[in-house]
Amino acid sequence: MASGRSTGTPQRGKGGRPPQRGKNPVAGARKRTSSAGRGAPKARQVPWLLIGAVVVVLALIGGIGFFLFDRSSQISPWRPSDSNRDPSLAIPGIVTQAYEGSHHVTPQQRVAYDRFPAFGGPHDGYWAACNGQIYPQAVRTENMVHSLEHGAVWIAYDPARVTGAARDALAARVQGQNQMVMSPFPGLDQPISLQSWGHQLKVSDPTDPRIDQFITSLKGNPYGVYPEVGASCDALGPGYFDPANPPAFDPPPYPRDALPMDYQGTSGAGGMGGAG
Amino acid sequence: MTASSVSSPPEPPVVDDGPDDEGGWWSNSPGWAKGVLAGGLVLILLLVGGLVGALIGQRTAPTYGPAAGSVDVGFLQDMSVHHRQAIQMAVWERSNTTDPALRQLAFDIESSQTQQLGMMQGWLQLWDEPTETAPGQYMAWMGMPMAAMPGMATEADLQRFRASTGQGLDVEFLQLMLRHHEGGLHMMEMAAADASVSPVRALASSMVTTQKAEAQTMTQMLAARGAAPLPMN
Repeated sequence: MASGRSTGTPQRGKGGRPPQRGKNPVAGARKRTSSAGRGAPKARQVPWLLIGAVVVVLALIGGIGFFLFDRSSQISPWRPSDSNRDPSLAIPGIVTQAYEGSHHVTPQQRVAYDRFPAFGGPHDGYWAACNGQIYPQAVRTENMVHSLEHGAVWIAYDPARVTGAARDALAARVQGQNQMVMSPFPGLDQPISLQSWGHQLKVSDPTDPRIDQFITSLKGNPYGVYPEVGASCDALGPGYFDPANPPAFDPPPYPRDALPMDYQGTSGAGGMGGAG
Repeated sequence: MTASSVSSPPEPPVVDDGPDDEGGWWSNSPGWAKGVLAGGLVLILLLVGGLVGALIGQRTAPTYGPAAGSVDVGFLQDMSVHHRQAIQMAVWERSNTTDPALRQLAFDIESSQTQQLGMMQGWLQLWDEPTETAPGQYMAWMGMPMAAMPGMATEADLQRFRASTGQGLDVEFLQLMLRHHEGGLHMMEMAAADASVSPVRALASSMVTTQKAEAQTMTQMLAARGAAPLPMN
């Protein structure tokens, strides 16, 4: 490079200059054409063709932009993404509460939950099967809360008010779906209550669009809205958790010795470790 | 092109081309037209810049990959659901069988399919696609949306399986898992041939190899227990 500049092969020297010189012929040519054009002074004319071209190009760009935007907006706004990790927070009526995971109790112990139904807190070492399981009977809350910790969405319904087609509409959202579980919950204050770890939504109508918004936002959400991403919803069977014979329902009132919400876990509870 | 329309009447139009300083179409244009043109050009430049920027951003964004409905995405979503049920049955069998040969087979299926499920879910997440098929839309990527995939156990099958014990449990497991393996084969073979992403083809083809071998083993184990395979559903 340096040698090329100082001594300069003739070719390079020529090659470097022409741009400066080249301008002149072009400018000259322009002047010639322009002076030729100036010969006849004209009235002001509107360059419609050029304006039209600008409009066409703008329309094209707008079309491409709309196409791209339209394609990206087809994705459900309730699907979690890196920029919207918990879409459920925008659902009207949602209730949230932060809980610590991993604090286990034994099958004999009870927890005095702060919510009804509970959606977080200490829980049994064995999770309730939540791989699309539809329980015909109410299930012990301590096991269901462990399923929530594994990312399940639990549909609880009042069996006195949700029956027949309404119940079937809920079951259709659960049947065969991993991380979905459904059970009756006698005494619910609303016909339907949805739980995910730290999230709850109560609705009265099985066709309420917020049900699917809740499920889309939270089921399988990989962005840490529940403690144990990737944990199993499968049942191990009798002696662990048997979906055909789940532990009995244990609604409030809680006994005097029920464990508090800040309980740190019983060592060895459920064979899955105590506080671990 | 524009100049020719502007300097229409007497000039030789071919010569008078290009933007000029004096006397050309530009200076002959009324002020508002100059404004419109200049503004339009600036707008075009801005929009093109924005679009190019957005496209570059999309291509280098953490989410990229085959589109929804492609062989890759469809296969990974369907096979995630398919694998999950195999794992569900294998977990139960491993925990409840009393036969060491069955426990080993169940553990083998459970652990390998759990690992494969993790790969499939990870790819779908990287591509920003739903990690499983919408209910009732199974195998749409093969051109025939189905309510259920072949080989899948029904809820009644699963209840019967879980209610069994001893050798009855083992036979139920072998029958359901054999049919499950054979039902998924067509999907795996199609993905092994037609997926666009090489690791997806490689995974699908390793599933074909593994599950064919396991199907052979299970057929023999069923025969040894005096039971026949189930017909495909």
